[in-house]
Amino acid sequence: MSLLDLCTWLENSPVAILMKESLWGFPIVVTMHVMGVALSVGTLTWFDLRLVGAGFTRTPITQVYRRVMPWAFLGFAVMAVSGGLLFVAYATNAYRNNFFWIKMSAMALAGVNAGAYHLITERTITSWDASPRPPIAARLAGMTSMVLWTIVILMGRTLSYTMF
Amino acid sequence: MADFFAWLQSTSIARAVAETQMLIAALSAIHLIGLALVVGSAFVSALALAGLAFPGWSSAEMAATGRAALVGLCISVGTGALMFASRAEAASQNGFFQLKMLLFVAAALCQLAIHRVVRRAPSSLALRPAGVLGLALWVGVALAGCAFILLE
Repeated sequence: MSLLDLCTWLENSPVAILMKESLWGFPIVVTMHVMGVALSVGTLTWFDLRLVGAGFTRTPITQVYRRVMPWAFLGFAVMAVSGGLLFVAYATNAYRNNFFWIKMSAMALAGVNAGAYHLITERTITSWDASPRPPIAARLAGMTSMVLWTIVILMGRTLSYTMF
Repeated sequence: MADFFAWLQSTSIARAVAETQMLIAALSAIHLIGLALVVGSAFVSALALAGLAFPGWSSAEMAATGRAALVGLCISVGTGALMFASRAEAASQNGFFQLKMLLFVAAALCQLAIHRVVRRAPSSLALRPAGVLGLALWVGVALAGCAFILLE
């Protein structure tokens, strides 16, 4: 089964049909997805700003993480559910859309960036946790995150103009 | 007022936006960056004002959330104005759009009030509910915007 076959199968699933036929399904899910941008990327941005040394620099990084990131993860869960529903309903349109693939790639890279930060950079955090200007690797991680998520948002909105 | 909207819609910039799909797409996309900044900052500052994050925040640090929100506002207002101009007559008569503008004024005033109190009386008890109110108003603006786009 090719990826396109999988997309076609998804589009014919009961969930997809419900999304497309229900009067309120699409508007509610899209609204969830848009509002989720603020909760996910909007909060993550403040952790990224702390990493680049531009926001709440008097608070240790680990504390910013503990207070802000649970909300960001909740936001990303909302994005995953709403995004998943939107994808399932219009899977073949997404498959054929370049902006969709750029969006997915940017998200994957954001994941790699986060992984690199947590697995490698964060190991030495006890020595720079309270620093208002963290080491270059941490600042790069924050900057890269903000750039990548900006791309995700831009591609996400643009794809809806070119998908149908 | 109606004459003004008609005139606005007839300007060459407004017509260029109305006629170029990718321009509307780009403006709409950048508008969302502004949303993330404004609502995200409102959320984080509501957390801080409620004592749920950044304990011992200074007014200088809260000013940072204000600056981020201001940047987001400039982005959203700039892109929003161009998009509005392209269909000023229809948008100005749309109930959801009118609601969005009312909530926007309320949210902006609330934001200004919060930042004034943070500077002058940072231990004021009014800041906690004010932060929540400010967040609710910005969320309302965003929801009205979604309704305007999705239900027109």
